[in-house]
Amino acid sequence: MNRNTLFGGAYAVAFFSFLFGPLVIMVITAFNSSKFPRVVPWECFTTGWFGELFGNQRLMDGLLNSVIIGAGVVALAVPIGLAGALALSELPSKLRATLYTVLILPILIPGVVLGISTIVLWGQISRGFGAGGLYNGYFLTIVGQITFISAYAMLVFIARLQRFDATQTEAALDLGATPGQAFRKILLPFMAPAIGSAAFITLLASFENYNTTVFTVLSESTFTTALASKVRHGTDPSLSALAVIIITITLVGALTNEAYQRRKEAEMGGRASRSPLYANPVTRALTHPGVVFAILVGIIAVVSFAGSRHDSSMCEAAVLQEKLDRQEELRAAQKARIEAEQKQQSTLPKSNSAFGGAFGGLGGATPAPESAEPAAPKPESPSAFGGAFGGITAPKLEE
Amino acid sequence: MKQLKLAYDTMLAKHGMGAALFVAIAVTLWVVVFITLPQLSMLDYSFRFNLPADQIGTEADHYTLDQYRSFFFNNDGSVNTLDLMILLRTIVAAVIVTLIDVLICYPIAYILAHGAKGVAARLMVIGLIIPYWINEILRAFAFRVLFGATGVVNTVGMQIGLWDVPVDFIRADVALYFGLSYAYILLMIFPMYNAIEALDHTQVEAARDMGAPLWRVHWRVVLPIAKPGIVSGATMVFMLTAGALAAPQILGGPSSLWFTQVIYQWFNESSNWPRGSAYAVVLLFTCISFVLLTMRVFKVSVGEIGK
Repeated sequence: MNRNTLFGGAYAVAFFSFLFGPLVIMVITAFNSSKFPRVVPWECFTTGWFGELFGNQRLMDGLLNSVIIGAGVVALAVPIGLAGALALSELPSKLRATLYTVLILPILIPGVVLGISTIVLWGQISRGFGAGGLYNGYFLTIVGQITFISAYAMLVFIARLQRFDATQTEAALDLGATPGQAFRKILLPFMAPAIGSAAFITLLASFENYNTTVFTVLSESTFTTALASKVRHGTDPSLSALAVIIITITLVGALTNEAYQRRKEAEMGGRASRSPLYANPVTRALTHPGVVFAILVGIIAVVSFAGSRHDSSMCEAAVLQEKLDRQEELRAAQKARIEAEQKQQSTLPKSNSAFGGAFGGLGGATPAPESAEPAAPKPESPSAFGGAFGGITAPKLEE
Repeated sequence: MKQLKLAYDTMLAKHGMGAALFVAIAVTLWVVVFITLPQLSMLDYSFRFNLPADQIGTEADHYTLDQYRSFFFNNDGSVNTLDLMILLRTIVAAVIVTLIDVLICYPIAYILAHGAKGVAARLMVIGLIIPYWINEILRAFAFRVLFGATGVVNTVGMQIGLWDVPVDFIRADVALYFGLSYAYILLMIFPMYNAIEALDHTQVEAARDMGAPLWRVHWRVVLPIAKPGIVSGATMVFMLTAGALAAPQILGGPSSLWFTQVIYQWFNESSNWPRGSAYAVVLLFTCISFVLLTMRVFKVSVGEIGK
């Protein structure tokens, strides 16, 4: 059994390396000044790609559009999902299975198909009824997205409804509450946490969606479609910078949620009094989710402030200079080679010894490092090889 | 219809007029306007000619099988192997990606359900969810960085001496397969986990005590319980992979198109909506029949999905 646990642990480690490896590498590339996102060769530590990201007008416009669309989707998909879950809870089992299949289907239908069918339908409607105003990217994207995002919300509500004790509603009705009152005062408050998580999930799904949106958004663009077109037309590390931001937000959310869950668990389990962490007033305050969140945000603020003051231009200039030097070096070598070849054709028959000339050329270059013009001794070089070696070695000696 | 009326009445008695009306209207709107009508409209469109706006509604605007014919046959009557092969390749690739996901996710789902406890289990769940929160485009981008000509895989491989010149993983579709398998891992693990969690762990122990080797415990005890979860997860992964657009656009090699990309081209580059609609119908029909067939083979119903 122990061996199996070891194997299981090793597999889990490998699996999570696969999950996080690409993300870690992407995060690292965000801080490399290389124009192409890569880890090696490492050039300079830079925070410039974040500035580049925020300076991208198309992405920032898309962000605004995404927020507008996301708000619309949440406002519609959450109530629709709730209605779907409630309807399913009341239907007789056979009809329920049918309705469930119909409502869950949009999750499985390829997003491309949903997007196409949405623009085709509303295109026809706007042509047929002359309601051209409906045929715009915002409206179509909201309509196209809620088709399947409502189903996500519905799944959240179904899970919550399964734990609802229907006798509570019956008790309220027996005590003289109207059905409407019972709904508002009993069922809706019970569903409140699920409404929160459904809103979150729908917002995220709307924000992330590409397949449907790329069709329905028409000539506008959302954050995700702008991102996709940027990736397709050449990549640069500002996208990695974006990933850094998203991963940071995700981690802060996850850690805060973890603190919240732990605290709730500890309080509900009556462990709060027993755990030393919750007994001490200082650690108790420090482990409060609000405080955890504030600390994390504080750390991020300090780090990003420090990052924004980091200036990598010196290092980048050095790398650029290095590249230029290398280029110059290569060019000089090439020039020398070409010249040497030309010379070889003319001088070779006259030269008494090619090898002797080559050694002489090498030896001649070494004692004269302060020679400002590396190409200068070449014309006088006795041999083709000497010229070629001199051309290559001279810049190195200069450094 | 009678049953619907009955359900509405129960709702009315239980939750009141407002709630009952809200549920009835919202669900009707969802089913009719958002789900059914667009699909019918697309189906209708796929049987029409691609006409300029001023000819729509005139005599030239009548039903035709032309769009579908051009999917199966070229203009000269020969079989349109290009598009058919793309569809076939998309389906086969989606099946491969689904199988990869089943294989790599099953151990994790089992460990999560029966091995990991407390903090470890919660960390694993968080670890599974975090990559899923990162934009689909960025996840594909990460694989492009990883597998690029100067990417980490190439650098490491060349340094170890496995190969001398950079391997073009993008052109070889390696990056695409990795990216797609990565993209929907969560959707495979959670249904699997839910199914396996229902298994009483004493059953596994009993089988072990009676001397069954590990593979046999999984084959005879765990897998039968996990089957609905596996099928449900596999269905979602298959449908999402076959319908993926972003990952093939970003990670796909220049020579290999995904079928969704063909649809995209008909719509956005050729502006031939009826043709695009017909291709979309073909994709939808192929995927759904494939899934239903697989479900029949494994004897699982559609109602299991999403649970």
